[in-house]
Amino acid sequence: MTRLQLILTRLLLLALVLGAWEVLPRNGIINPILLPPLGDVLRVLAELLTRPQVHEAILVTASEVVVAFVIAVPLGTAIGVAAAESDYFGAIFKPMLFYVFSVPKSIFLPMFILTFGIGFPQKVAYAAFSTLFIVIMSATAAVESVRADHVLVARSYGATRGQILTRVYVPSMMPVLLEALRISMIFNFTGVMIAEMYASRTGIGHLISNWGENFQMPQLFAGVILLATVAIAFNEAVRWLETRFSTWRT
Amino acid sequence: MTVANLSVVRESPAEAAIEVTGVNHVYHGREGEVAALEDISLNVNAGRFVVVVGPSGCGKTSLLMMMAGLRHQTSGTIHIQGRPILDPDPKRVGVVFQEASLFPWLTALDNIEFPLALRHAPREERRQRAEAMLTLVGLEGFGARYPHELSGGMKQRVSIARGLVQDPPVLLMDEPFAALDEQTRMTMGHELLRIWSQTAKTVVFVTHSLTEAVYLADEVLVMSARPGRIIDRIPVPLPRPRTYEMMATDTFGRLRDRIWQQIRKGA
Repeated sequence: MTRLQLILTRLLLLALVLGAWEVLPRNGIINPILLPPLGDVLRVLAELLTRPQVHEAILVTASEVVVAFVIAVPLGTAIGVAAAESDYFGAIFKPMLFYVFSVPKSIFLPMFILTFGIGFPQKVAYAAFSTLFIVIMSATAAVESVRADHVLVARSYGATRGQILTRVYVPSMMPVLLEALRISMIFNFTGVMIAEMYASRTGIGHLISNWGENFQMPQLFAGVILLATVAIAFNEAVRWLETRFSTWRT
Repeated sequence: MTVANLSVVRESPAEAAIEVTGVNHVYHGREGEVAALEDISLNVNAGRFVVVVGPSGCGKTSLLMMMAGLRHQTSGTIHIQGRPILDPDPKRVGVVFQEASLFPWLTALDNIEFPLALRHAPREERRQRAEAMLTLVGLEGFGARYPHELSGGMKQRVSIARGLVQDPPVLLMDEPFAALDEQTRMTMGHELLRIWSQTAKTVVFVTHSLTEAVYLADEVLVMSARPGRIIDRIPVPLPRPRTYEMMATDTFGRLRDRIWQQIRKGA
């Protein structure tokens, strides 16, 4: 199958799904109250995007996501690198990190609400917390992907510690770290959404949760499309970077 | 355990590129102290090609790593070009490892430039040196390839070029062709001798292959099983340039046989 055929097939499938979404509810084959036709949903979406209340919600959610990400990724990378590089630190903390990693983070949400209230800090704290562990695990794996013989070669040519870091560690770890970045954004976004849907006064998650409770299906689906678009766009952007940085990983 | 006698007056022949004197190495294993190297002394004159053979685990790689300043001996001294080697010094020693150990994110040319980049050599000079080395190892036109686009033999050529790019007088090679198939290995041995004759380096070459040892060496050093000691020094009187036909001669066979007998005795 050529590349063009592949793309055409994919587009055809997408058109089929979207077409079914439009046609089936319209003809009453699927109950339009449960699944409003695509056209109606898109109209509602366009209308929602003009409302100041929705703008505010988008802004709040976006800043929560960004702040939590900016906290979790460097912090998690630092802890992960320390756990992998320092035998002492690793021996003490690695098992604990693995234990906590295996626990669903959402069960801690009530504690975050009790500690931080239901505002901005709670969303950020909870999302950062739920992202931190996947970043730590990935950073540890990234360090372990650095080959000892590469370090030895660099040393034999007189590389300083700093040079070994920038010229061996960073490029070796880059593909794994970019993948980690992508996956941690998924965790991060999920964290913010859960926190907003659980208890909040604003944000897209809060709106979606409200629309659901009030049975406003067109709005609910419009929110889903909006969020899905943003999430997919970010994911694909990082994936594109990944392939650029890891052409040699074959 | 022998303690290095520091008061020994060392007679230093002017042309000795490598002088190893009374080197012992002890490491701490699970069952306490293990003697890895015992009283190793050897001199390699400038421009000589010396091959070290011995059973697995006899410490020949350790010895090489010590000559490269990558590992420290428990006692004894190692001088390269008349000065002790305490840390890696790429100006005096180039190292070629068993796995070519090229950086997969760099092209062949950038890999060769790596040692120069570490000491911030000007870009222009780096390129020129690297291109010259690429030509020397017979890889002209392959500079833009990434390691995964090169064959095993080509990777080792790049690795040799990287070892020579700073023009160090001494080249240490740790079983560089061990992972190659027999044919490539023979070709690479021949190529190495060509490069060596063009650059006049002092080479210490560790291998498991007796044929390779006799084919390449001016002198073969045989090491015993742990603790590694040098149990025989066998000069190879075959003329240079070496040819594949020499492998079929009686002299070649006798030399290989003698090395094999020594290894068996020492194991």
